[in-house]
Amino acid sequence: MKRFILAFVAAYIFLFLWGWLLNGVFLKDVYAETPNLWRPQSEMMSLFHWIIIGQALIVFSFVMIYASGFAGGGVVAGIRLGVLLEIAAIGMRMGFYAVQPIPGKLILYGSLGGLIEMIIVGAVVGAIYKPAGVRAA
Amino acid sequence: MKWKKFFVAFVAAFGFMFLFGFLWYGKLMHGAHQEVSILWRTDADFGNHFSALIFGHIVMSFFLTLVCVRFVPAGGSARCAALAILVVLIYIGNDFILYAVQPLTTKILGGWIVGDLIQFAVAGAIIGAVYKSSTAVRT
Repeated sequence: MKRFILAFVAAYIFLFLWGWLLNGVFLKDVYAETPNLWRPQSEMMSLFHWIIIGQALIVFSFVMIYASGFAGGGVVAGIRLGVLLEIAAIGMRMGFYAVQPIPGKLILYGSLGGLIEMIIVGAVVGAIYKPAGVRAA
Repeated sequence: MKWKKFFVAFVAAFGFMFLFGFLWYGKLMHGAHQEVSILWRTDADFGNHFSALIFGHIVMSFFLTLVCVRFVPAGGSARCAALAILVVLIYIGNDFILYAVQPLTTKILGGWIVGDLIQFAVAGAIIGAVYKSSTAVRT
């Protein structure tokens, strides 16, 4: 349980920082091309707790799936799970791209950023979380 | 891995996810979506991007089938549905983030969360059922 919490906290901190860097800094100009699709900055800040809850849910789900099937494989298994989950996220982004006038490059850069994100999250979780049997061995 | 069964499970999951998505998000939630019509493509533009919607569903259903087969090789609707619910938490987390950054209504957020849960849980159950029959044939 302690390892689970540690893995969750470490992965969450990375996800939060990377999310800010990717969406708030690197892709800021791309988002600005479609201002009608996004809330004004002040409104986003008033709903910031939803971002925190959403990111926490993503990391919690990641660690839960890892702990229930991939655990014991270490960093490589964590990265493998991260890549698998990011492929699913790309499917979801394609769905949004079909129904919303989001620029194609935002989908492309978002998917590349998401791949880096999930690889690192997987590596962090894989490095920290070890099932009891593996730790004892 | 039984590739034939994998393929049948994938096609069944894709068929359900696409049909459910059309009914839930496209028909049942149409009115809620129209409250923020600026967020969506026009019908003609949507038609031009329809292939992206199909591709997205193929990727999601293929991935879900892969994860179910990898983690629940013996199959079983309940276990695959439970795993699919874990996976869908990632999508729901993304829904929360989208709600914070896009001018979506709480009605849309609620509809997406319920829709995601039903869509993935049932798709997982379908995949598990197909794989369970595979195991029964082998034994």
